[in-house]
Order: sequence, then structure tokens, then C-alpha cells
Amino acid sequence: MTVRALRWKAVIPLGLALVLVVLFWWLLLDLAVERAVEWAGTEIVGARVDLASADVSPGKGLVVLRGLEVTNPDKPMTNLVQSAEIVARVRMLPLLEKKVVIDTMAVRGVRFGTPRRTSGALEHPSPTTGRVGRAISEWANRIRLPPLNLQGLTGVVDVSRIHPDSLRTIAAARAMPGRTDSLRTAWRAELAGLDPQPQVDSARAMIARLRQADVRALGVTGTRDLVNSARATSSRLGQTTDRIGAFETRVRAGPESLLGGLAESRQQDYAYARGLVNLPSLDAPDLSPALFGEMAVERLKPVLYWLNLAEQYLPPGLDPRRRMGPDRARASGTTVRFPRERELPGFLLVYAGADAEVRGVGGAAGAYAATITGLTTAPALLGRPARFAAQRRAAAGGPATGNVVATFNHVSAPLNDSVVAALDGVGLPAVNLPAAGATLALGTGAVRLRLLRSGENVEGSMSWSSNSVRWLRGDSTARPPDRPSAGPIGGEAWAQDLLWRTVSRLNSVEVEVRVAGRVTAPSIGVRSNVGREVAQALRRELGDQVRRQEQRLRAEVDARVQQQVQEAERRVGEVQTQVEVEVAARRAELERVRAELENEIRNLTRRLPVRIP
Amino acid sequence: MLFFIKLLQQLVRTLNSEGTPGQVAAGMALGAALGLTPLINLHNLVILGAIMVLNVSFPAAMLGWALAIPVGFLLDPVFDLVGRWFLLDTPALTPLWTSWYNLPVLPLTNFNNTIVLGSLLSWVVLSLPIYLLARWGVARYRATLYQRLTQSRAFKAVTASKLYNIYRMFQPE
Repeated sequence: MTVRALRWKAVIPLGLALVLVVLFWWLLLDLAVERAVEWAGTEIVGARVDLASADVSPGKGLVVLRGLEVTNPDKPMTNLVQSAEIVARVRMLPLLEKKVVIDTMAVRGVRFGTPRRTSGALEHPSPTTGRVGRAISEWANRIRLPPLNLQGLTGVVDVSRIHPDSLRTIAAARAMPGRTDSLRTAWRAELAGLDPQPQVDSARAMIARLRQADVRALGVTGTRDLVNSARATSSRLGQTTDRIGAFETRVRAGPESLLGGLAESRQQDYAYARGLVNLPSLDAPDLSPALFGEMAVERLKPVLYWLNLAEQYLPPGLDPRRRMGPDRARASGTTVRFPRERELPGFLLVYAGADAEVRGVGGAAGAYAATITGLTTAPALLGRPARFAAQRRAAAGGPATGNVVATFNHVSAPLNDSVVAALDGVGLPAVNLPAAGATLALGTGAVRLRLLRSGENVEGSMSWSSNSVRWLRGDSTARPPDRPSAGPIGGEAWAQDLLWRTVSRLNSVEVEVRVAGRVTAPSIGVRSNVGREVAQALRRELGDQVRRQEQRLRAEVDARVQQQVQEAERRVGEVQTQVEVEVAARRAELERVRAELENEIRNLTRRLPVRIP
Repeated sequence: MLFFIKLLQQLVRTLNSEGTPGQVAAGMALGAALGLTPLINLHNLVILGAIMVLNVSFPAAMLGWALAIPVGFLLDPVFDLVGRWFLLDTPALTPLWTSWYNLPVLPLTNFNNTIVLGSLLSWVVLSLPIYLLARWGVARYRATLYQRLTQSRAFKAVTASKLYNIYRMFQPE
């Protein structure tokens, strides 16, 4: 019996099934786009992204998204941004290549910081969801802000809390014998390599030849050859002497690097001991981080977040890119993208414009306009940087200026990003100052931001200034600024009064944060006129007392580490002396032989009837 | 429970059907693709179309699918390794993937996912052994076990029973 290969009667049902599939896809397209936007947004932001509806018109290449709400990952009950409507004109053909190319996008009804009805926190975030946000939060948590605690300044400093095991100098001194032995071994090996004995022996043989040389028998030519040979020997002796001299210089400098490390450790131990007893430094930069460090970190977090996010989603170059596969019952695996020159990128937003209005009469109230150009997941294919610009077009009150320009140049490595912002009439936060028992309401002021990224490094500054600050005392025991406090020096009431009297006179406040270092975890420095004023007031009132306490701490640290440091210095000195004696002996012998050789050369040339060059 | 009853019912119907062992085996080999690879993918639409248009046993394909599902889950780590090797660890193939990735429609198959590619390639390699094994197994079963089974008193008793008549009433044509 022959069996037919095809089941022709199934073609029509198959065709019908395919039509049903297409119809099903068509009907569910809106829902699929809605879910895709929510999933991708959630993956990027690390908090829920909700979309009320999506309306896709494939024939017109139009996608309308309504009711977009992006949760603030740090405040799940608040939206980072909300948009009433987004209209995007999408190219249809690239969709067949699984590529999304948006020619224009209009974003309307943008609002920031709106409250949410339900929490936007994720119950089970995937490992990759909000990875950048988590990394930035970890960076912020790692930053140790110095405390500003003026209490107990004049009390007894409990030096017993300084534990020897916690002192780095002791650990460094204990490691010194090993490091000294290593240094001795290295020096000995180098000295062995510089052994001058063969050259000394050769020089002595040359001296003997010179002494026995008969000028008449040798003649002018023979004598000249002999003299040249002797001079070459002398020159080699000189070179060896120079090498030994250079080695001697290194031997003299070697212990300095070892002991320099000890000195550095000791400075760190002083800082550690000071931290243990809450003894504040009276330098203004140290007080400013204590006062404004938290605010600075909070304000920097979003800036660093977007910089790092841009790196993750706008990578340079055209190498295959990996990302986790889709979430499904089966394993996700890894999805690899293979961008190619002169092809379209996986995602491209050619131009987007947004109009936003912040209602009310507050400092931020007004109309804003923003544009984004050239945003793509493969900048190397587009060949030009992505650019974001926002302008404040009108303000409800106060100065109406405000510009933000950000450029992300990821066309090729290294990455070059810049963010420059100048905003006036911005509502600034209130800063809590527990040490003063007060709150500083910065009111409305100006914000300046300048951030440059080159490769893995970021550098820049962010500043806030306000001329209309208000100081609010937290307790009811406030005294007039000119009335001295009644509490004992070093007590809580005294400390609060001192700070209150100092800061409450200030009508304007300037805070500047400097950022430098790796973009994932830069170091920050905070300066402010408040810090300077407080430091001056402290110097006036208790400079002597703080200095005395600090001397006590230093003495205590010194006493605990002295024995180990002396032992380390002795060992290093011993090794250095041994090697120096050997080096000196060798150099002296070399110099002596060389002088002898030079002398014999002179004697020989003197016996010649003609002068040889 | 219902799933297992249906699976058993399907197994009996397939093994005893009038289709040739080759048709049954081809159905099983094609059906295995649906179970071994992640289901919601474009290539499975093609496989489904092939099962319908090619003159292979449809119940056998469903059986092959059902049997391959747990195997697919179990072998996911292996598929991932295979896919990774082809997609990432073999630079000679990168131009091919790059070319496919930038063609219309092909990227919609998700071939650039390690599990999808690994499982699909594994199925391609395994489909012939599955086919040969299933064909031999079905032929042997029909020649030996099924013949003996039909002659057994128990089988005759069951087929003569009212219960079997009720079962046949609900059996699809």
C-alpha cells in the first residue's frame, strides 16, 4: 500500500487556523504592546510601570499609549513621572526584523512626583530588574558620613575604647618583619647581580700589564692600543660604580617607603580614634558633609542612576550583546543581539518632544519643554550621540530660567557623557540638623549641575544656593541668638545652642558637592558656607579644648603603637645598614682600583716621546 | 488525573491505529519538537502546520509532544549549553547569526536565544533516532504484544463489556 505524503484535505483547516492565529494576534496586539511596555519599563526602572491602554494602528504606523505611570523605585507610593498620552509614529517594516524605530514621539501631560493609589514596589523582581538602581543604592549606603556630635567634647575621652587590634599601624608594623625580609632578599639578589669582582680582577690584571709594559718594545701603536684597552677597562669600572651608586640610592630610599606606610597608617588611626569618641574635626569641609552629606547623596543618586543606566542600555561598539532571555515556564537562557553596520538598531527613537506643566504657585510651577534626539540601543549604528534637552518656558512666579542639556556619546568607547543643568526658582528641600535641634528650610533657590563622564570616570559638581532660607528650631527652649546658653560646655543644650546661634544668623546658604572617581561609586566632597560658619564658631568657642582632646588621643595611639613601630624601624635600619656597608665596601674598592688604573695609564703615556690622543 | 487518562487513551489509540508505523513515528518525531523547544515560538507554528499537512499520525504527534515536555524541561541546561556554544562560543558562526539577525522575519523566531536554538538543533539531531526508534517499536508492538493482547481473555472480556461500549461511545471518530 502506498501512503500519500501530503494530507491535502488539511490545507483548508490549516489556512483557517492561520487566519485565526493572525486574527487573534490582531485582536491582542494592543494588549501585547501594553504588556511589553510595562515589562520593559519595569525591567529598566526596577519598579512597576503601568499603562492604562495602548492603541496600535499598524496601517498608519501609529501607537498611542495612554496613562503611563512610572513608579519611583525609592518611593513606591509616588510616581517618578506620569504621562497622559504618548503618540508615537513607528516604522512598520523594521518590526519584521524585531526592531523598533520610532520617527517621532509626542509626550503630553507630563507630571512628576504624583501620588499612586497602589504601591509600585515589585514583589518578586527578576535578578536583572533595577540592577542599576540597586547598585547606586548600595553605593549610597556605603558612603560613611562623619557625624556632627558636639556633646561630650569637654568630658573625659574614654581612651580605653581604642583597641590595639583595630589600629592599622600595629598591623602594618607586625607585617614589617616579613616585608623587611623580602626587601633584604631583593637587595641581596640585586647586589649579587652587581658583583664587581670580575671587573676588579680584570682591572688588576690590566694594571700589572701597564706596569710591565715596555714602551720601546711596544712602539707608539702598541702603546696606544694598550692605553685604549686600559681606558675601556676604566670606563667599565666607572659604569659599575655608577650602577652601585644608583643601587645605594635605592637602598637609602627603600626604608622610607616602608616606614612611610606606617606614618600613613598612623594618620588613619588618629582619624579612627577621633571617630570613636565623636571628636569633630574643626575643618570646614569635614563639617559640611556632616550637615549636608545625606542631602547631597540623595540628590546625586538619580543623576548617577541615569548615567549608569545609559551605559547599560546604550552600549558602544557593535559586538554581540547578551541579555537574559524572556521570562517563561522554560528556562530563560541568554538572548544575543547581533548588530551590523548600515543596518537599523534594535531600538531607535529619532525624535521625541514633550510638554510638561507643573501646576500651582510653587517654585517649580511653570511650563517645560523637552526633546530627545537619537536615542538608540546601538549608538555605533546611528553614528551620533543621543541628546536630551529641557527648557523651562514659563514660570508661575519668580525667575523663569531653566536649562538641562545632556549628551550621551556612546558611538565608540570610551563613553563620553555630559550633563549640564542650570535651574533657578527651584523648590529646594528642607534639611534636618539634629545636632542643632533645628531644620533648615532652603526654600526656593538655584541648582547648578555639571557632570562629565569619560570612560569609567566621572567628574563634576552640583550646587544649591538660596537667599531665602528659614531656620526652624525643633524645641520650645529656644533662646534669642544673642543670649548665651546656660548649659554646661559639652552638654546637649550647649551644643544645640552654639549651633543654633551660629546658623540662625545665616540668610543665605550655598552647598556644593564635588564628584570624582569611578562612575559606579564615585567619591564625594561637600562644602558649604554653613560648614565654614559652624567651624569658625567652634574654633572660637572650644578650639583649645578640642585640640587638647585630640592631643590626648594622638598620645594614646602613639603609646599603643610605639613599641611595634620602633621594632619595625630597628629591623628596617639593620637591613639597610648591612646592605649599605657592603655596597660602600664594593664601591670603595672599585674607586680605588679605578684610581690605580688611571694612575698607571698616566705613567705609561708620560714615558712616550709623543702624546697619544 | 484527566490529563493522564487522556494521555493513556491517546497512547492506546495511536498504537492501535490504522496508520503505518512510519506515519506514527513521523508524527511522534514532529510532535517532539513542540515539547522539546519552548512552545510559543514561530518555528512551532511551522511544525504544527507540517503535522497537519503531512500525512503523519496526528495523535502520535500529540503523544510525542506530551512525552517530550518533561524531557524538554529536564534538558534545558543542556540546550542552554548547546545554544551558547553555537551563538557565543563559535566565532566562525557569528557572521551567519549577524546576517540572520538583520533579515526580516527570522529574528521573530527567537533563534538568537540559547534555549530556543539549542533545543531546536537538538531536536533536529534527535528527530531521526526518535523516528527510527518509534517506527521499530510500533511495528514490534503490533506484531507481538498487540496480537497476544487481543487474544487474551482479559482483553476479550474488557472489549465485550458494557464499559468498553461506553468508552467507544465517547471515542472521537
